[in-house]
Amino acid sequence: MASFVPTSEETLADLRRYTEERLVEVACLDCLARVRVKKNSEHHTSVQWSTQARADCQEFQRRGTAPGGRDVHQPCPRMMASIDEAVRAGDVPIGAHDGY
Amino acid sequence: MSDTRLLDQGTAPIRFARGWHCLGLASEFSDGKPHAVHGFGTKLVVWQDSKGGLNVLDGFCRHMGGDLTQGEVKGDNVACPFHDWRWGGDGKCKEIPYARRVPLRARTQRYETVVRNGQLLIWHDPEGAAADHDLLPPELPDVMTDKYTPWSWHRREINGSHCRELIDNVADMAHFYYVHFAFPTSFRNVFEGHTATQFMESKGRPDTAAGGYGDENSMLKSVATYYGPSYMINWLEVDYKGFITEVILINCHIPTGPESFTLQYGISVRKPEGLDEKTCAYIAERYTESFGDGFLQDVAIWENKVAVQNPLLCEEDGPVYQLRRWYEQFYVDVADVKPEMVDRFEFEVDTTKANEYWQAEVAENLARRAAAEAGSTASADA
Repeated sequence: MASFVPTSEETLADLRRYTEERLVEVACLDCLARVRVKKNSEHHTSVQWSTQARADCQEFQRRGTAPGGRDVHQPCPRMMASIDEAVRAGDVPIGAHDGY
Repeated sequence: MSDTRLLDQGTAPIRFARGWHCLGLASEFSDGKPHAVHGFGTKLVVWQDSKGGLNVLDGFCRHMGGDLTQGEVKGDNVACPFHDWRWGGDGKCKEIPYARRVPLRARTQRYETVVRNGQLLIWHDPEGAAADHDLLPPELPDVMTDKYTPWSWHRREINGSHCRELIDNVADMAHFYYVHFAFPTSFRNVFEGHTATQFMESKGRPDTAAGGYGDENSMLKSVATYYGPSYMINWLEVDYKGFITEVILINCHIPTGPESFTLQYGISVRKPEGLDEKTCAYIAERYTESFGDGFLQDVAIWENKVAVQNPLLCEEDGPVYQLRRWYEQFYVDVADVKPEMVDRFEFEVDTTKANEYWQAEVAENLARRAAAEAGSTASADA
């Protein structure tokens, strides 16, 4: 059942725009994990993991998933390096489209 | 056809979130009397039984609707002031002193309870499933020992806002400058499973005389995680002129109605070594005051804003749509939780441009203030 219900179709379009558009797939250079990435600027990074990618990531597997562990919030350094590499190679464009 | 953007205020959910909710410090409820806590559109009754366990039921007797919070604790049960029906912590009516037998259907709404970090938490689930103890917030080592100051606990009723307004702050980088008078120099979010985290480093603004985040002498490193829909642990490391203090701030709430909630916050400070009890208590009180002021700055905004289902974002904003997608999981049936609500999502905000503009604005404010002061000194001299 729906909870917070938008009252216009345009809101649903916004939702898709902000959460799904312009995501580029990046594969980890060290494991099977593939994430979707967006970069609005040099410093900004948005990384969308999937259940599969989360399971494939060796770093996260090593850390375990104990609830409450503070280091589960830290990014995977290998994936971050892979994203940087993809940006250098020009595979991930940098720049925002009107704020998204 | 118009290009004017319209605010979609949306429709608030008709249910309350599934998950653990904190009712307050466990010690508040341990005096052998029934206590009233407003929550989930009703009033709850909380009492301690003879074994020291805390019990929480719907506050209204299933007989004739008497207010159990105004009753008495008799043995392990709470007794209704209207006809003395006795209710146990398991939700069953245990005794009706004037009746031959208790009706089999005499069961009321009960809430599973856990005491964690000295606080009473209850499980709320519109589907009525058993409590999920894997979703509890973590235990905080050394808190509740003499290494930390005791919880300083506070409440505030918020009317006219859905509690999602409070959640939105997790992704809101820029409000720390405008509402809390700090420069957020680093800002990152991670949402995953039932947790949503904000990492922030900030420095106070020198052009505002506010406490809390806004003291120009204080640099803050903050890690704040929501464990479920309503309970956040905020680990703060405050560097005040080189003196570092570790502060734990609990930020939690109980929804009371469709557009109201009770905000609660608690503060415990790691006692700096070498300081006496009185000084530690003073430091804790100062932090309590300043973070309390911080919440009041938010409250002033919430009480006057409208709900927005379609926020318009700029490049410097945090991931509010993804945050709300995460928050949605607590408002749908467990069977309807979609992967994207719980899949890991990471977002690093680029604070560079924002801080350039803000530094310039603050410099202007300081220059204007200096000129005004110089002017008033000059006219006083004349």
